[in-house]
Amino acid sequence: MAIVAQSSKLSNVLWPVLAWIVGLLFFFPIFWMVLTSFKTDADAVKSEYLLWFTPTLENYLNMTENYDYWRFARNSVITSVFATIFTLVVSIPAAYAMAFNPTKRTKDVLMWMLSTKMLPAAAVLYPMTFLTKSLGLFDTHFMIILVLSLINLPIVIWMLFTYFKEIPKDIIEAGKMDGVDTLGEIKEILIPLAWGGIASTALLCFIFCWNEAYWTVRLTTTDAATLSKLIEGNRAPEGLFFGRLSAVSTAAVGPIVVLGWFCQKQLVQGLTFGAVK
Amino acid sequence: MSKRTLPRLLQTPAVLLLLVWMLVPLGMTLYFSFIRYVLNSLRRPEWTSPSLSNWRGFGNYEFVLKSKDFLLSIQNSLVIVCSILFLTVILGVLIAVLINRAFPGRGIVRVLLISPFFVMPAVNAVLWINMILDPVLGLQGITVGSINDMVEGLRNAPLVGWFFSLWPELTPISFRATQTSALAVIIMVTWQWTPFAVLIFMTSLQSEDQQQKEAAVLDGAGPWSQFRFLTLPHLGRPIAIVVMIQAIFHLSLYAEIEIVSRGNGNKNLPYLIGEFANNNIGAASATGIFAVILANIVAIFLLRMIGKTLME
Repeated sequence: MAIVAQSSKLSNVLWPVLAWIVGLLFFFPIFWMVLTSFKTDADAVKSEYLLWFTPTLENYLNMTENYDYWRFARNSVITSVFATIFTLVVSIPAAYAMAFNPTKRTKDVLMWMLSTKMLPAAAVLYPMTFLTKSLGLFDTHFMIILVLSLINLPIVIWMLFTYFKEIPKDIIEAGKMDGVDTLGEIKEILIPLAWGGIASTALLCFIFCWNEAYWTVRLTTTDAATLSKLIEGNRAPEGLFFGRLSAVSTAAVGPIVVLGWFCQKQLVQGLTFGAVK
Repeated sequence: MSKRTLPRLLQTPAVLLLLVWMLVPLGMTLYFSFIRYVLNSLRRPEWTSPSLSNWRGFGNYEFVLKSKDFLLSIQNSLVIVCSILFLTVILGVLIAVLINRAFPGRGIVRVLLISPFFVMPAVNAVLWINMILDPVLGLQGITVGSINDMVEGLRNAPLVGWFFSLWPELTPISFRATQTSALAVIIMVTWQWTPFAVLIFMTSLQSEDQQQKEAAVLDGAGPWSQFRFLTLPHLGRPIAIVVMIQAIFHLSLYAEIEIVSRGNGNKNLPYLIGEFANNNIGAASATGIFAVILANIVAIFLLRMIGKTLME
């Protein structure tokens, strides 16, 4: 190609080197956290053990003792999984209706849904606390699942809508000819056809649920507290526990970062509402 | 029942859920913002439960507008959001252009680059403020310390000693302090969201018209004018979208501010609401309404922009 032919040999070497440096720089804090997690708390703050040290698994082995990690992790898994399922159950039929049976108001409804996402959470902080406490739902899995679902509902409907729109209407109509009812249409035609899109939407929804840090911190104390709450409660300002703090942080974000690698493309679609392709 | 009624009814649960989710808490916030309502008051126990007889009109709004933290927190909200936007867009465009070309290991560099975006905000803040930015025990402290030691050693060296004795002793910056805590928040959020900007710009660059570019090269356009007159205009729309989406997310930053300094010096609007909500619910609610107004101003622009492409 002309552009490549034009560029000098020097830039052909410099370009990749620069790109790699930038990539490594951005990854460095994560690398540093993982590295520190294998140091003892004492070694973690000593400059002579910056890169060369005797690795230890102590921090990971003591995670249950130090932080009760598994209880928080279990809560994160439960709330994120069920919130994702619930969100999909509500939004698949909604996105189906909007994509295949649009009315004049469909566009406005979608816009309005998006606008609920823009409501600052802090504005309704006290009413939410008040409501959950008076309904006896404070610090319950049920409440966290409900809130996580509601937060993610607009984005999930949008993502599914953009996927469903790509499916030719004729295929859905053909099902009608065969006498399949609406629910059958969704179950037997739409879901198998859009399976890829639904799966990546679910993955993204799960990641957002896992990382949510406003309501999960403010609407829980112990029973339903997730990993966000665990980390926020153990910020360790004195730097005495860098090793164990790194270990628990690594365990909290590791699985999600890896999952994230698999849904980069969907992230673009999901967060720009299909406006950037 | 017509053939299309049932399919259309399928969106009702979603609409109803969101309607309740939006209207009930927001309605309560609006109500609380017009009454006197505090959680603890020995002097006026009647104010501790919400009631219309404690009507205060716009009193709470006046109280909030007059409190010295209010303007400061709006200013902080804007400074933090604008700095992050500025940095992420510039870095995002540069990095996207950098990795848009094919080079060995491009897939791995992409994976490395996107990773920060998936780190949970609480971990992001804890990691940066402790292990990286801490003035004594973090990497910053260790680096500054070892530079000082090295210079100190060179001062006594023959021949070059006089040169190094002119060097000042470096002092590490404490990022938990009043003047610098906003900076720490800006650094960590920029680290987390630049990958997002890169991802969007990269996706958009791939749809750039290559033939047009080749034609420009034939016409003698250098790399800079290609970037200035072809790439940058092509990125106009994605840049606008990145700015809007980030603005909405960052106007409600909370975890980072809480962890870095507990709001010392860099309170933003959501943080101020949290502080008021410890006791003065009326003031917290009035501040909440201000936050809704601010978010709406941003949202209207975003919705306009996205609305245009929605039905294409």
